[in-house]
Amino acid sequence: MVSVATLSATHGEAISGYSYGFLDAISRREIRRALLKAVAIPGYQVPFGSRELPIARGWGTGGLQITLSLIGPGDILKVIDQGDDASVNAQNLRRLAEKTSGIETTTETARATIIQTRHRVPEERLRSDQVLVLQCPIPEPLRRVEPSTSVARRMHAEGDYSRMWLAIYEDIVRRGELGGAAGYPVLVNGRYIMAPTPIPRWDIPRLDMAECLFLIGAGREKRVYAVPPYTSVVPLEFEDYRFEVESFPGQRCARCGSGDSFLDEVNLADGSRLFTCSDTAFCDAMQQNEEVVRW
Amino acid sequence: MVDEPILSVRGLTKIWGRGCDACLDQTGPAHNRNTCPACGAIVACADVALDLYPGEVLGIVGESGSGKSSVLQCLYMDLAPNSGEAFLSTFHSGRKSIWEATMRERRELRAILMGMVYQNPRDGLNLMVTAGGNIGERLLAADWRHVGQIRARAADYLHRTEVPIERMDHLPAYFSGGMQQRVQIAKALANSPSLVLLDELTTGLDISVQAGVLDLVRDIQHREGLSVIVVSHDLSVIRLLADRTMVMKMGRVVESGLTDQVLEDPQHAYTQLLVSSAA
Repeated sequence: MVSVATLSATHGEAISGYSYGFLDAISRREIRRALLKAVAIPGYQVPFGSRELPIARGWGTGGLQITLSLIGPGDILKVIDQGDDASVNAQNLRRLAEKTSGIETTTETARATIIQTRHRVPEERLRSDQVLVLQCPIPEPLRRVEPSTSVARRMHAEGDYSRMWLAIYEDIVRRGELGGAAGYPVLVNGRYIMAPTPIPRWDIPRLDMAECLFLIGAGREKRVYAVPPYTSVVPLEFEDYRFEVESFPGQRCARCGSGDSFLDEVNLADGSRLFTCSDTAFCDAMQQNEEVVRW
Repeated sequence: MVDEPILSVRGLTKIWGRGCDACLDQTGPAHNRNTCPACGAIVACADVALDLYPGEVLGIVGESGSGKSSVLQCLYMDLAPNSGEAFLSTFHSGRKSIWEATMRERRELRAILMGMVYQNPRDGLNLMVTAGGNIGERLLAADWRHVGQIRARAADYLHRTEVPIERMDHLPAYFSGGMQQRVQIAKALANSPSLVLLDELTTGLDISVQAGVLDLVRDIQHREGLSVIVVSHDLSVIRLLADRTMVMKMGRVVESGLTDQVLEDPQHAYTQLLVSSAA
């Protein structure tokens, strides 16, 4: 990774009046330091001074600050929103990074060095030279059982997770199965319970022992955390109530015909419905009959 | 008894306020006060020592403000004592005082090694979690990860404490006081703790329910050989449950011995008063 000092020396200001990658050098440095700490303590939420950006908090500012603090010459950036490269939000974030740093962008998962994502992990397997930056609305997995942040932090420090397990037990009693659709809580490296951001259950197994680095940013809540490569990530489950990913029995993608990707349901005007791949880059590749390395 | 004590407490002192050198000398039953005249600190209990043997029930009796609940709250670590040591044989083989436990060890002590039944079920139960979940919380803290087994154990203890099994998945917030208390007892006992602490467990229940709860505790205690400390101002509770009894007044232990002995042949003037007023 190129140092901040080198970047300022060699690239100066990409566009007049703005620092390289929008953030000033000191901000970049602070966010990188927080990220180093996050990588060193997998699953631990590191506080950081969330900056003002030209987008509103809650629209991906945490992920964007990570991305902007990491990008440098030679990086290729991909931004997706629920798997989609073309959504308005993804486009805006990508253009901001492009405009303020001049780096190359792509929609191809395999080409990207940094992928910023909202609520999905790509269908294509990520490599050790790739970083997945996840946007996160609520970084605190204990919030549903403990409203106080300081108490929740103490619970993390002491590994005091029986109330979290109790909440899952109560879900089972109430519904007869494990609760929660997106953002299912996981135990990272056998130590910290972590909110995986609202990714579907489908994506949870991909976090476990992955080759790539996962960086997670919550701009509004001012926290970053990380899952380093080859780190165990285990969903909270009981011996007799196992975690299961979503299934789409009998459904295939209406565009590419794929039967083993995460599908979005589309309701049509005539009341019928069809399913398409949530990951549009993967869907395109399948339509082109390209080789795609899967998880 | 030839066994080693399961719990051994020495020099337990709890003072509210800054305290001074005169506190311990100027308070106690001899002075008939627990407020230090020199500095105004309140001596909740001072230099309390006790041994509890496996399978034994120790009663602590005394009037309000005698310090009996403070002893119990210190043992369950709701309060931090000013000085003293307490060794539980199942915690670091009885070589580390429970009051030197780390935060993590404290949680293990409270959730696994000890069980507490408070006078008010609100203090011991989470009323917005199902009865089964309340019991399950302690099992989960002990790393139980099988819902079927947790529910089987919860059902077993709800059955023993005579809570209808069909109420297992209901919230205790909607239970009667007596039933809440029985759920709290089931919760405290369900993971077979080394030490059970009962704080005025029948105060606040009506007489017929009191009898039921006491029968229940005595029955489970006998069957499982639990080691119990029971605190009460009610001599009939002590008479029914306790093998040995300690009498406290103004933060000090004034008399102790076999329950029958203490209640039938009280030696200390205060105990005599207590026994005669109860009769």
